[in-house]
Amino acid sequence: MISRGHALTATLALASSLTACGDAGTPGRAALENLPAFCQEVLPRVDAFLADFSTPSGERYGGTAVVGSIGEMPNGMNAFVSSTVTNNQHQTFVNLMPLVRVDENLQPQPWLAESWEFNEDGTEVTFHLRDDVYWHDGTPTSAYDVEFTYRRAIDPQTAFPNASFWNYYDQGPDGVQVLDSLTVRLRMEPHSEPLDPWRSTAIMPRHLLEDVPPSELARHPYGSRCPVGNGPFVFESHRTDESWSFVRNPAFPEALGGPPYLERYVYRIIPEQTTLLTELLTENIDFYVAPGPDQVPQIEADQQVDLHVFPYPGYDMVIWNTRRPQLSDARVRQAIAIGTNRQEIVDAIRSGFGEIANSGVPPFHWAYAPALADSLQYDPDRARELLDQAGWTDRDDDGIRENADGDPLEIAIKYNLGNQQREDIAQIMQAQLEPLGIRARPQVVEWATLLDQINTPDVRDFDAVVIGWRVEFRLDDHEMLHSSSADDPFGWPGIQDPDLDTLLDRLQLVTDREEATPLWREYQYRLLETQPVMYLYFIDRLAGVNRRLRGVELDIRGEWASIQDWWIPAEER
Amino acid sequence: MTRFLLRRILGAIPLVLGIATIVFFVLNLAPGDPVSFFTSPAVTPEVLEQMRRNLGLDQPVHVRYWRWMTSMLQGDFGVSFARNQPVREIIADILPNTLILSVAAMFLAFVGGVVVGVLQAIRQNRFVDSALSVIALFFYSMPSFWLALMLILIFSLGARNLWGWPIWFPASGMTSVDYPFMSPGAQLRDRVMHLVLPSFSLALVLAAGIARYTRGSMLEVIRQDYIRTARAKGLSERRVVLKHALRNALIPVITLFGLSLPFLFSGAVLIETVFAWPGMGRLVYGAITQRDYPVVMAGAFMFGVIVILGNLLADILYSFVDPRIRYD
Repeated sequence: MISRGHALTATLALASSLTACGDAGTPGRAALENLPAFCQEVLPRVDAFLADFSTPSGERYGGTAVVGSIGEMPNGMNAFVSSTVTNNQHQTFVNLMPLVRVDENLQPQPWLAESWEFNEDGTEVTFHLRDDVYWHDGTPTSAYDVEFTYRRAIDPQTAFPNASFWNYYDQGPDGVQVLDSLTVRLRMEPHSEPLDPWRSTAIMPRHLLEDVPPSELARHPYGSRCPVGNGPFVFESHRTDESWSFVRNPAFPEALGGPPYLERYVYRIIPEQTTLLTELLTENIDFYVAPGPDQVPQIEADQQVDLHVFPYPGYDMVIWNTRRPQLSDARVRQAIAIGTNRQEIVDAIRSGFGEIANSGVPPFHWAYAPALADSLQYDPDRARELLDQAGWTDRDDDGIRENADGDPLEIAIKYNLGNQQREDIAQIMQAQLEPLGIRARPQVVEWATLLDQINTPDVRDFDAVVIGWRVEFRLDDHEMLHSSSADDPFGWPGIQDPDLDTLLDRLQLVTDREEATPLWREYQYRLLETQPVMYLYFIDRLAGVNRRLRGVELDIRGEWASIQDWWIPAEER
Repeated sequence: MTRFLLRRILGAIPLVLGIATIVFFVLNLAPGDPVSFFTSPAVTPEVLEQMRRNLGLDQPVHVRYWRWMTSMLQGDFGVSFARNQPVREIIADILPNTLILSVAAMFLAFVGGVVVGVLQAIRQNRFVDSALSVIALFFYSMPSFWLALMLILIFSLGARNLWGWPIWFPASGMTSVDYPFMSPGAQLRDRVMHLVLPSFSLALVLAAGIARYTRGSMLEVIRQDYIRTARAKGLSERRVVLKHALRNALIPVITLFGLSLPFLFSGAVLIETVFAWPGMGRLVYGAITQRDYPVVMAGAFMFGVIVILGNLLADILYSFVDPRIRYD
């Protein structure tokens, strides 16, 4: 039996295991001896370099800000495996630096590159780097780092997911040339938005990773265990599935805003939204990334937190498999598009926090055609006419339309397990399409299985699928909508439209935004007519921010774009 | 005893390998491909192919199985597909967290459950017994994630924001963000505060069951002749109950100890998610949805080992409470 003595020992053992786990060599850092050899070597160099700088003084300097979000950053600060939006923002705004940034109007601005120029015919770009940016271990950031990053990014062995961003760049041995330690020149075919890859991909440190074989870069401990960046925040620690923490980089160049106000910044992973909301309202986190629209009333009711609403480069859509007989006629797809009350969907799913989409060009983007908004109004009568014209009529009075062969107009709408919003979309569509004589059947599939069913070119086991999409600022729908991609994994709709093809091809090669705008308008109208997918809405991103955290400016660039300017008044730290 | 232990441990090896093998093939039968999660059209098919090569997924299943098995036997669990980190490192980070939570929950559940069960048995059919029965059934029939959310709403959000209680508990995480800068005493307090809600959520459901078992088992034992003898000897009621009756009544409860280990690990997925506790349940569940084979395999292996060890521990405990059981 358990005597008092045993119970006491058990309690003590528990207590000692509790404290033992938290033992850390330096405060904030995990004990060095638990880290891979690479980290044991580089982290002391980082500490030594930063020790020489004094803490900036001023009333805004100091304090810790905590951001809470549902997801881990699986590959950390390794820009060669950039997989999630959050990872990417931490690489480009927090720990590392890209060559250029964009302002809120998407105009490129100097960042790591102080300036750049193109040659006459747009086949060469020359970047001039700043001379005052240091890797956190004290090594200056140079043009060789840019060369290294470019060569690795386009090397097939690296398997960098975003390698195709540089498709129009010269990928041969002479494609990149270091002119001096701060100047680098790259060759390319003239194309649209050539600077965008240099905004979305952070420059990586050559001196630390040069000897790593490209195929092993992804799994190098650099990413999740001890990243050494050059951005405004220095990596402090990463606890798997729990948190990432960063401290101020005191060496960050004054010309780029200088060292950030925050002394420490912590990213916490909290996978449940109710818990996240509780942590925001109990002031354990300062910033709740992307609360659900259903949580808005509680956030708005609280005096201590503010709700932020800002545009997001992502949308939800329904992809049609145009290979299917019932969906092969554009008139049927048009009929569904105008027979679906999309505003009702936005109101129900997003509590109105979304903007109706008519194409993949977001409203904030310079290529957006505003007049488009009126061209796809909800009109069930017109939808019925279109279906009649396409030869789908109710021939046996069962309420569902049939074609001449007697096949009913049935569409299975697939969505992934556990995604409540997409489930709701499928169900609302089912209810809205029924009166038009279309039988839509929501069908749930586990995510990995669903990807298998829709991505495998010779399977394509779906009629329609509800899916979310995120766009780059450099828009390109080639892989989804160009006929040459119909048999590639992402050629989901399988649409074959010569006009779309021509426009897609031309748009990629027009370098001037003004010249491109009318073409983009034409492209968006062609999408309206062909309807390879039904665009539902662009997401309005939400954020709940504690009022003690000042200087938070949220726009299309994302949650972390303004992190250098975040500050906490001294009395609230 | 030593021979018994050796025999049991040796017998467990094929069992664990068998579990691992089944999990490996079931997982590989499931549709879906680890690299398909890079669902961006920017990823060309060539890049996906290269990713597969880099991960070793271009090999046929039996080759992968053989590679996995041989490297695992050398203590190498491979590299996570989704996180690109050695699985050994990830598990080393995560396993202690799970142990802290499950040991705390086990402790609470068994101490609480046995105390309640004994109380009920010695006050059979009185008010205390019925009241505790109702409470135990209430918790036993409650989904644990719902209980967890309620605890958060009451003891975290409500306690702090609505009612201004002097004490409230953090809703998530294992430590506060300024933990590294605290004094050792404050660190211990911080950890305990973070442990309270998740361990109670796990323990309450389990304790309710244990209380039912203990009560039944106690009632049976208390009617035995040797209890009457003990009372007749003039022993104090306290001594009769705690020394003579409880020891015998605990035997079926120990069986429960071995059986509840898998529950603690699998049932913890939801609790770990709700309380943002970085544990094994969450890790493995996430890995399954991402087809992160190496992590799932290592997780299945660890679960197998822990459950087998737990049952072994239960067997050893038997011999302590029941002198009739000897493993020589």
